[in-house]
Amino acid sequence: MPINKKKSKTKAIAVGPSSVLERHKGEQISTQMEQTISFIQNILGVNEDLTIRRFHVFGQHPAVIIYFSNMVNQSTINVDIVKPLMYVPNHLIGCSIEIGQLIDVLQNDTLYHGESELESELTTLIESILRGETVVVVDGLDKAFLLGTRNIDKRAIDQPATEQVIRGPREGFIEPLGTNISLIRYRLQSPDLRVETMGIGRRTKSKVAICYMDGITNPKLVKEVNRRLSKIDIDGVLDSGYLEQFIEDNHYSPFPQVQYTERPDKVVANLLEGRVSILVDGSPLALVVPTVFSQFYQTVEDYTERYLLMSSIRLARLIALMFSLIFPSIYVSIISFNPELIPTEFAVAVAGGRAGVPFPAIIEVLIIEISMEVLREATIRLPQQVGGALSIVGVLVIGQAAVSAGFASPITIVIIALTTIGSFATPAYNAALALRLLRFPLIILAGTFGLYGVMIGLILIANHLLSLKSFGVPYLSPLVPTEFQGVKDLIIRGPLWAMNKRPSFLQPMDASKMAANELDNSTDQASNALDPKNDINQQEG
Amino acid sequence: MQDRQITVIQAAAILVSSIIGVGVLALPLFAVKAAESGAPLVTFLGMLLAFVGLFLITVLGMRFPDKSVIEYSQDIIGKGLASFGSVLIIVFFAVLTSLTAREFGEVVVTSVLRSTPVEVTVIVMLLLAAISTRNEITTIAYIHTFYFPLLLVPVLLIVALSLKNAEAINLLPVWGNESKGMMKGTLTIAALFQGTFVLSAVIPSMNKPQNAMKASIGGMLIAGGLYVIIVAAAVSVFGAEEIKQLLWPTLELAKATSLPANILERLDAAFLAVWVTAVFTTLLSSYFLTIHSISKLFRLKDHKLFSYFILPFVFTMAMLPQNIVEMYEIIVNVGQIGLCITIVYPGLLLLISILRKKRGNSVEKKKVDQNR
Amino acid sequence: MRRKKWIRTVNLFCCLCIITPMLTGCWDRLEIEERAVVLGVSIDSVKSDHSQEEEGEVSHLNNSIPAPNKSLIRVAVQIALPGRIPLGPGESGGGNGPAEKTVWVIDVVGHSIDDAFMNLQQQVSSRLFFGHLRVIVVSESVAKKGLENINDYFRRNPEVRRMAWMMISKGRAIRFMDATPKLERVPTLYLMSTLDEGSRMGKFPKDYIGIFWSNLSKKGQEGFLPYVELKKEQNIEIKGLAYFRGDHLVGITKPLEIAGYLGIKGVNPAGYRVFIQPGDASTAIMTNTTHRKATTKVQIKDNVPHFTITISVELNIEEKLSENIQFNNPAILKQYEKKQEEVSLKFYTDIIKKTQEKGSDIFGFGEYVRGKKPSFWNKNVKSAEGWQKMYKDSTFDIKVSMKLRRIGMKAK
Repeated sequence: MPINKKKSKTKAIAVGPSSVLERHKGEQISTQMEQTISFIQNILGVNEDLTIRRFHVFGQHPAVIIYFSNMVNQSTINVDIVKPLMYVPNHLIGCSIEIGQLIDVLQNDTLYHGESELESELTTLIESILRGETVVVVDGLDKAFLLGTRNIDKRAIDQPATEQVIRGPREGFIEPLGTNISLIRYRLQSPDLRVETMGIGRRTKSKVAICYMDGITNPKLVKEVNRRLSKIDIDGVLDSGYLEQFIEDNHYSPFPQVQYTERPDKVVANLLEGRVSILVDGSPLALVVPTVFSQFYQTVEDYTERYLLMSSIRLARLIALMFSLIFPSIYVSIISFNPELIPTEFAVAVAGGRAGVPFPAIIEVLIIEISMEVLREATIRLPQQVGGALSIVGVLVIGQAAVSAGFASPITIVIIALTTIGSFATPAYNAALALRLLRFPLIILAGTFGLYGVMIGLILIANHLLSLKSFGVPYLSPLVPTEFQGVKDLIIRGPLWAMNKRPSFLQPMDASKMAANELDNSTDQASNALDPKNDINQQEG
Repeated sequence: MQDRQITVIQAAAILVSSIIGVGVLALPLFAVKAAESGAPLVTFLGMLLAFVGLFLITVLGMRFPDKSVIEYSQDIIGKGLASFGSVLIIVFFAVLTSLTAREFGEVVVTSVLRSTPVEVTVIVMLLLAAISTRNEITTIAYIHTFYFPLLLVPVLLIVALSLKNAEAINLLPVWGNESKGMMKGTLTIAALFQGTFVLSAVIPSMNKPQNAMKASIGGMLIAGGLYVIIVAAAVSVFGAEEIKQLLWPTLELAKATSLPANILERLDAAFLAVWVTAVFTTLLSSYFLTIHSISKLFRLKDHKLFSYFILPFVFTMAMLPQNIVEMYEIIVNVGQIGLCITIVYPGLLLLISILRKKRGNSVEKKKVDQNR
Repeated sequence: MRRKKWIRTVNLFCCLCIITPMLTGCWDRLEIEERAVVLGVSIDSVKSDHSQEEEGEVSHLNNSIPAPNKSLIRVAVQIALPGRIPLGPGESGGGNGPAEKTVWVIDVVGHSIDDAFMNLQQQVSSRLFFGHLRVIVVSESVAKKGLENINDYFRRNPEVRRMAWMMISKGRAIRFMDATPKLERVPTLYLMSTLDEGSRMGKFPKDYIGIFWSNLSKKGQEGFLPYVELKKEQNIEIKGLAYFRGDHLVGITKPLEIAGYLGIKGVNPAGYRVFIQPGDASTAIMTNTTHRKATTKVQIKDNVPHFTITISVELNIEEKLSENIQFNNPAILKQYEKKQEEVSLKFYTDIIKKTQEKGSDIFGFGEYVRGKKPSFWNKNVKSAEGWQKMYKDSTFDIKVSMKLRRIGMKAK
């Protein structure tokens, strides 16, 4: 964890970016190797894993190789860097190499290593070493070699844990940025894919990549994303979530205005629609902007399965979403304000169920809701082996016990259980969180004004949603403002061939996704290749 | 300067949701009082009369696509007279806002929240409207569009479900047995359409003001059609005489219907809950129109300044009627006075503007003008 | 930026403004189990004078705020006992047996409905809640005196549903509240389902209280209510139509005459069966009406409305009493059709005559006059009273056509 180490070391110095580097900014490497070594030694020498190894280039020029031993691939250094540097290349044996020619010879004839460049600024050397590169300084040269030898242990590419699908790719992003970009490039082998990078974070200097499709994405959007990102001036960016909170439009809204995903295919799909994706080194979650509300209940699978089935599943998901928001509050208002709405038989039964409960419905619901939240939180924190057991214990035993203890009525338990399950059906965790939170004010409003209060609450929420914007895109588009092309992919998922336009609220440079008559094209030439009447074997038999 | 984003559909949605509101609840009573079984006809006539007003406003708006009524009236009849007219408009819509809030407050307090003070329900509605007027006009247009289905669905649902109890004979004769009250009833019902005046504030933000007439015809057809349907359904289910006995026949209609399979046994409370949105959009429109007009009168750019400022006044006015009978008397009277403001005044303006050949810049010409 | 902050403060303040009344709020919150859910109400007249003493002076004081000089009524309510009605299917009390009552019946006297309810409220701790009031039973004697007060109260109360049933009882109405039918857990629901199912089987027209009120208000129509009697097994029989003139009960029909009403109105489904015997008793068969259709036309003849009613009915044969007759040729069926037409014609005419005598137009013929002949109506009738008089003089021309369609699974 070199980053942390650096942090802990520099913490004592001052606020702001490393003041040591600031002080030495612009200083050039001198030809005196020892000076350079001592400079580096001064700043990084305390770290035990800083390796400074001296050797002689071609047996005559003193040189030094400096790197953090934990961040590099040792065998690369041994075989690709140190070894060639020590021996004179075969075709140059016998030639005398002047100090003036040395740079060219080393660069062109000696170093096998692909990633290498020359650098003359001292502070850059420090930064490079911190990044995991290897610095080779040769006495008498005013330039040092930076060699990309970074090798940090990473986990394997895995199934995305939070966005699993039955049908669709199984790859998820992992932490290193390079791997993630490769995952995108591998799916989108197009010259139009642009990846711009910048470093954000005073201390962490995290590499942030902005991906977009040239010729599809509106350049204004790219410019705005760049502008917002470059304005960020914080200490460290440890996850893409840090960035999200700085680039979103409304900082007070409970609703997420930036979507995150750990699926490369989802990022690619969004890039192709004309969105911009932001990746951060060290975070397996890519951000996608701009975001509209409908994205939060859509999944990748919607597009890989047949549209009729997925439309109905999406409908179910929407119902679950509504359930998770309003079910408890409707229950409270019907029980305590308008029991005349439900059938008489049921009303009498509910009254029977509630007869022994000492609290009003609102308190009862709030208690069970809060304990449900506690349970949920506990289940996330607990180790996996224990978690399953706890959730069963929690749901079954506590629910049953609460009822028989006269603490809650059985119907309340049913309602809360449905609500909780409903909130899990929302694919986007952050949107589910928002609705989960908004449920509580709604319950309180229901307890105050009944259905009237619930409606007031819903109107407030809807008005807020309508006033939200993500990079200028109204949050509820394409529903409002209505865009008929987009409605096909809103509540239902229209067939792919019917959605031949990119969402126009993203104002893409190239509006059409496919040929307008794609369906005709693909079915035109269809012939019954294996029609039984053409089967020679059968005809003979 | 102004962002012109509101589409024709949005403008029509604004019109519909501004018209349809709490008035629907008592509408069949007004109509039946006027012409018994001729109630649907009276409603239709009221709609036609109201459309005259809307037509005038739309034509004026298309003549002056950059300006609201407050601004172009100054161009047409001069500053002094126009200010007087504008003040009248502002006062009228402030009163209309307060009466709408009060009427809905009374409905809620009478039928659902029986021990809640009426002040609370009124202030909640007004606050809701006031907060929402703090948005940009495009957001307000979004709000109206978003709630638009919520107006249509419950009404159509209740009408469809109540059809099984309907008797066609109740609707006969179509012109009613006594047609003396026809004229007055038409006026009363036309007054229920006065929310359409908000179009005068919307046109300056429409992306194609020349299509405003489409929006007003569409909006009026939907809203008026809905009104006629409701009245016809109520009359055919209850009969004219029974409606005279009911304060809010539409609510009673909801009470008499149940969802299939008894999921909900009666719909009145649920209907009232959904109807909060309809009332909210009406309030939002008239409230917005009030503060928008005030800010235009004082030549301010931002209408938001007044959202909270006029709240106490509106609230106090809402509390003035002493009882529900007095309140309805005031509503009918104010509505008829309002017709002068929403029909006669624009009519005069249009006449004078034609005579004096005044015309605003149309949107296409504007660029040419600037180039000159 | 600074201005934005200022706006935020104002916003926050306003949010607080909304929240503050809420904290003091919850005016209307009343838990379902804290309400005394009234399922049924019965209204009887009080005979003896000493019941005056029984009444507490809750809504009036005899010396300062006197009660209206109206005869007392006895109101009984059936309140659901929440704890006693088990949740879910079949999970009944077990050891306690079915004898345990699920409702609580209390009766009080009062000068008016509201007075009685206030007397009752004084005795019951939880607030009376009429949102689930499904059945109102009014005794015959009260109905004869008029239902104005009863209609007014229930129409004014927003909790009362228009889908409730009001019925006229033979004898004392309170017995219906005490009845414990075996089929339903809650007795009132049984009463209600008797009528609901009755109207679904074509035994009784749909006549919820709301429809009754509408008919009552119409100028050209009078209301009617089901007339019920409690039988010895605590079951309920629909005994006929109780028809009104204005708010007053004026007459009661026989059960089969309900079929007559349904026939004249052409209500479907049809559910009554009748005997037809063209010859002696051995030729009697029983037919089941399956489908009715009726049209009413109105003309003005001699300054009096003349109605032409065309009723066409489809029948099935349900049983025969002897093997003497064979349904093997269409002529026999024709014969029966003919006979039934004759019988029905008289049957329908009698019913109309019966209501005409009382001036109670429960069929709504007056509405046809009002709707189709408005000028005649405006000139000669105008009001409900006018029609009550005019109805007596109206003339009728009834045409009946019967069609025997099917004879069941038996071939002969």
